[in-house]
Amino acid sequence: MKRFRRHGQESHRDRIKQELYQFNKTVEHGFPHQPSALGFSPSLQLLAIGTRSGAIKLYGAPGVEFMGLHDENAAVTQIHFLPHLVELVTLLDDNSLHMWTLKAHKGVSELLEIGRFTLTGPPGAPPSVTRVTAVLAHSSGELLLLGTEGGHVFVVEVPGFRELEERNISLEIVTHSIPEEYGGRRSLEHVESLQENPANPQQVLIGYGRGLMVIWDLDCQSAVKHILATQPLESVWWTEDGLRVLSSHSDGSYCRWSVAGLDTQSEQEKSEVPYGHFPCKAISKVIQLPTKQGPPFLLFSGGMPRASYGDRHCITVIHSKTHVALDFTSRIIDFFVIRDGPDQAGEPSALVVLVEEELVVIDLQTEGWPVIQTPYLVPLHCSAITCSHHVSAIPLKLWERVLSAGALQNTHYSKKPWPITGGLNLSPDPPQRDLLLTGHEDGTVRFWDASGVCLYPMYKLSTAGVFHTDADPNDNMNQCTEGEWPPFRKVGCFDPYSDDPRLGIQKIHLCKYSGYLTVAGTAGQILVLELNDESAEQAVEATVADLLQGQEGFRWKGHTRLEVREEPVLFPPGFQPFALVQCQPPAVVTALTLHSEWKLVAFGTSHGFGLYDYQQKNNVLVRCTLNPSDQLAMEGPLSRVKSIKKSLRQSFRRIRRSRVSLRKHHVNNAAKLQDANARLEAELAEMELAPVQRKIEARSSDDSFTGLVRTLYFADTFLSDSSHNTPSLWAGTNGGSVFAYQLRLPSVERRAEDLVTAHPAKEIQLMHRAPVVAILVMDGHGSPLPEPLEVAHDLARSPDMQGSHHLLVISEEQFKVFTLPKVSAKMKLKLTAIDGSRVRRVGVAWFGSSCSEDYGESGLTVLTNQGDLHVVSLPGVKMQVHHPCIRREDVSGIASCVFTKHGQGFYLISPSEFERFSLSARCVVEPRSLVEVPHQTPTSLSRAQPDGASEYRYEQPERASKNHLCNNMKTALTGGKALSNGGDFHICSVSIVKEECNDGE
Amino acid sequence: MNVLSLYGAEFRRFSVDRFKPGKFEEFYKLIMHVHRIANMEVMIGYADVHGDLLPINNDDNFCKAVSTAHPLLRVFIQRQEEVDYSSYGTHSLTRKKKAVVTLRNDVNRKRPHIRIGMPQDFRPVSSIIDVDILPESHRRVRLYRHGSDKPLGFYIRDGTSVRVTPHGLEKVPGIFISRMVPGGLAESTGLLAVNDEVLEVNGIEVTGKTLDQVTDMMIANSHNLIVTVKPVNQRNNVVRASRISGSSGQSSDSSGSSGYPSLSTAAAPSAHGYPDELESDEESDIVIESSLKRPSRRSNASVASVASNASRSHAQAPPPAPVDSPGPPPRPPSVVSTVSFHSQPSLNSLSNHGSLSYKLHRDLNLQHSQYQHHSSHPALRESNGSLHKILSTMRTDPRHSLALPRGGVEEDGTVITL
Repeated sequence: MKRFRRHGQESHRDRIKQELYQFNKTVEHGFPHQPSALGFSPSLQLLAIGTRSGAIKLYGAPGVEFMGLHDENAAVTQIHFLPHLVELVTLLDDNSLHMWTLKAHKGVSELLEIGRFTLTGPPGAPPSVTRVTAVLAHSSGELLLLGTEGGHVFVVEVPGFRELEERNISLEIVTHSIPEEYGGRRSLEHVESLQENPANPQQVLIGYGRGLMVIWDLDCQSAVKHILATQPLESVWWTEDGLRVLSSHSDGSYCRWSVAGLDTQSEQEKSEVPYGHFPCKAISKVIQLPTKQGPPFLLFSGGMPRASYGDRHCITVIHSKTHVALDFTSRIIDFFVIRDGPDQAGEPSALVVLVEEELVVIDLQTEGWPVIQTPYLVPLHCSAITCSHHVSAIPLKLWERVLSAGALQNTHYSKKPWPITGGLNLSPDPPQRDLLLTGHEDGTVRFWDASGVCLYPMYKLSTAGVFHTDADPNDNMNQCTEGEWPPFRKVGCFDPYSDDPRLGIQKIHLCKYSGYLTVAGTAGQILVLELNDESAEQAVEATVADLLQGQEGFRWKGHTRLEVREEPVLFPPGFQPFALVQCQPPAVVTALTLHSEWKLVAFGTSHGFGLYDYQQKNNVLVRCTLNPSDQLAMEGPLSRVKSIKKSLRQSFRRIRRSRVSLRKHHVNNAAKLQDANARLEAELAEMELAPVQRKIEARSSDDSFTGLVRTLYFADTFLSDSSHNTPSLWAGTNGGSVFAYQLRLPSVERRAEDLVTAHPAKEIQLMHRAPVVAILVMDGHGSPLPEPLEVAHDLARSPDMQGSHHLLVISEEQFKVFTLPKVSAKMKLKLTAIDGSRVRRVGVAWFGSSCSEDYGESGLTVLTNQGDLHVVSLPGVKMQVHHPCIRREDVSGIASCVFTKHGQGFYLISPSEFERFSLSARCVVEPRSLVEVPHQTPTSLSRAQPDGASEYRYEQPERASKNHLCNNMKTALTGGKALSNGGDFHICSVSIVKEECNDGE
Repeated sequence: MNVLSLYGAEFRRFSVDRFKPGKFEEFYKLIMHVHRIANMEVMIGYADVHGDLLPINNDDNFCKAVSTAHPLLRVFIQRQEEVDYSSYGTHSLTRKKKAVVTLRNDVNRKRPHIRIGMPQDFRPVSSIIDVDILPESHRRVRLYRHGSDKPLGFYIRDGTSVRVTPHGLEKVPGIFISRMVPGGLAESTGLLAVNDEVLEVNGIEVTGKTLDQVTDMMIANSHNLIVTVKPVNQRNNVVRASRISGSSGQSSDSSGSSGYPSLSTAAAPSAHGYPDELESDEESDIVIESSLKRPSRRSNASVASVASNASRSHAQAPPPAPVDSPGPPPRPPSVVSTVSFHSQPSLNSLSNHGSLSYKLHRDLNLQHSQYQHHSSHPALRESNGSLHKILSTMRTDPRHSLALPRGGVEEDGTVITL
């Protein structure tokens, strides 16, 4: 009976757990790491980016996002949308072609892989024969032309990927059709480019690597015309009227050819090396677009003078008299131009450039061609991210003030709306305003709107102005001197070079109610900032906090303190610094917290911690936590360099030794050499296989960095007696120590005059000595104490002060609950002893039930060093759920994780991308978007088709593809890793395919 | 000094009935009486067959001492305070050597001596546990770190182990002991050796866990570390209790042939037993509370810190100086008494030894069956612990197994677990 009842309770708890917790990786924010291909569908208004790791991402209107991942871990080299369809074809590095589609499912589109294909040549042919170098998705939507390294063009029916052998354009036929004197017997080389005549879909231009271009008629299966260029070909562009062809070449020239006449050989109208005289680099892509009145737009990438500007990444835009060389900070992957009008046949409106580190969109219709701010794909890493901080449920007032401060910074952006508008964003409006703050290596803090699917930049704060730095602030790279040639213009914001690494931001804390912000950096600097809507000129008052407290015998070998500007500095509207604390020694700040009600900031480094009163601008408390025998903490970061040097020296020595042993043998013949090589290899292998061993030793107080302050916490609780609650400060160290200080605050009216005092109240030494990662006080109801000012703003119920409070100390190994005020252990949860994982990140979150509106529980969100996420209940510290989330090898991913107050979180999956995940069943932010099949307008002259054709075509290829899949077991597996919206829909896709198979039979 | 103390010894010779040795208390009183030292705290020790100085402080080891006498038993009596001086140990060693010479004929056989502390010095350092539920090829070792200033002192590494699976032999990654720190706790117990495969840490299997995870688990459990290993050297295994007592069917199930898979089932109940045990053994955190408002709190605080230290101090070596004798105590003449026994010639020491080991195993079984009640029987526990200790030092200390070649037994990195 008893057993039965317990079982009932268990299942009840299980149901509640299901209602509270649900793990999803929802969306990736930021810019894809290592993009390798760009595609655009004018009809769908969707942009596609492929990456070197085999991912493809589709973006439309803000909020419309799709993601897919190829099974092969190969780079995506080309992406082609099938014209007027929802399918797209990707070409991978491993020569495989993949067909993807956007399929509506329950009102939401999903990106699914529906087929794959690898070109098979005649038996015995070298692989180069079928190595695809150029792809043309024919406007009929039924044909794919594949140009190969061997010079052949294969024709394939899509979406079923059926080879139409009889329509292939072999190199031999082409060679016969050109004049004998051109090239003689030399190979035409690979197919560099395939272009369809915009005015006549039956004509296709084949450009060969050596320079020859042939216009091929698909109907009569013969060459119509040839263009004999003499320079190796880089790209081909067919003008919209179909009368001219532009070709760009590897010597930095481009040529215009007239193909209007009936001659088999076309004439060169113009040949130009735009940045000529001296040898130039290749022009990798050239396009020309007409305007209704006036001259066309000519755009090309590359072509810079090799010697002087060969390292620049430029796209040149020429329109009428305006000539600008847009100078990007990273390598150009590809670019395209968006045109106005329903058929994308109007005026060029925006230039979209994908460079290695960002996406830049330039407004071509506004004077000066300003940049349009991107609503997604923002380069998070314009300077390396060093820390992040999330603030949930921002009050509207603060939100608007931050937005307006940000708007003043963004005046140089174009006012035009975002030009890529495909798809419908169906995700509901975010329930609250969330802010993600990222600290960067260059001393900036960026504010992002993290409420919804798009991570949108709001405001950027720079702290560098407070200090004297090596860099000259007037060194503006955007200034271009008059008459400079080429006419460079810097665009993009990716700037990986930091002027001074000491400026790096390490910790951030923002009080959303008062607008006070504190940021701390690498050189022990702690700035307190206040939000001001007006610009102000003020000097920042600096206070030094000597954390050593007279400890003798230490020598700081690290960097020096930052030098503060004495004179008043003009700060723009936004967050303006008014107080500065500088730690001595200037070690990196490892813990930081702010209490806006008490107007106190607590900070800690590897040497100790301090408490700063930012109203009176003085130090209240400085405490050294250093262990006298801890030399490593004292010497600073530079001492690490020595050890690297040492290990390098050792490895060199090892290599030299093995070389010496090689020399001893008289290497006369190949056999001996081989023998020696084998021995060297074995030696190397042994070196690598030398077992990694780990010492099993209990932590002792003598370990290094035991004094490093890991966490700081303010609490109004019962520290010394159970009848009076007092303000308190808690600090936890790497050595498992907890220090508690009782704070005495003057009354509100005397706050400005009387001193704040701090008295040591308690010290706890955890016997397991594991680093303390978080400290939390729970009220009489067992819920965590609210944030400062939260109660004052009626956003949290006031904490229960009747029942006894409990202290929760979270170390890397254990969660331990103590009673207060008398500290005695009450209960604990051991993590490391049970499964060997250690707590890396922890956050307090509120989990609302997905079923009943008013039920919810507090819990701890925990990330371990194994990359697993756990939810631990409060106040009972019981493990609730756990999910593997990050690979355990991904140390930077684990270190970058930040939790929200509602059970979501972010971590870096690459230097430039945040993955968003959710542990909450109620609070999930994920893209939900729908892309509809484009309806063709009958006026589209070039692709005149009967009405309804698109409908028909949409149905047919789908069926065809499914039949194809049924026939081919290998391809049936392709649905395996298709991810849509980051969710787990791949199973769906497979099952759909199977269902269709059954129907067919 | 050596000579002095030797000369300072007093000798007595008396007889005790071999088959009814009686209680230790009685024996103690007898000694007191014989030496006329009734008001003195003394330690009683005896020289066993190996010439080691072993203590007599309870009925069990008194019985054992009596049973080993053939026919003479040398009993050493020392003042309690003296025993605590570490310098005195060397004297006792030299004396022990003398004892060997007098007691045993084969003088040539020189063996290294283990130093065995006096009884009140005894605290568990390590023990072999769960012998009856583990396969014979495995060994579960418990290392007690608390109170010891010795480092745990070993290293672990990744390696490859070969397991018997339903599909035949299979190579699987495993964790192995790679190095022992000389003078460390792990080395001094002699229960762990280089290339032993680590199978479990405190009842949790390590299969599928990374080296770092296992390291963290061991460190997190370092206050009371229980490692189950498959010793690389399978010749020192504890003889299975069930063979003699034939007690539990469970343990015969898990014997050798079926091998590893059954271990998990066998280990499961004991794994459940751990947490309670851990709670009682774990060192508590130190809390220092300083008074802020009322100075009277300070005393309270000191009590708190003392109380928390108390849990540790019980295991620590007792304070070096005795409270009642300030200053260097005069070196008193040590007392040596020799007891002769009336013995039956038919009863040799071997059979006695056998019965002893039988008793030991019975105790082990008892320990297992009463696992849940353990914390309520600390005395039983303690005696078992010391018995284990004796057992282990007698049988498994590799330094005593002279015939065993070290290394060379198996290929490095690969251990076959059957």
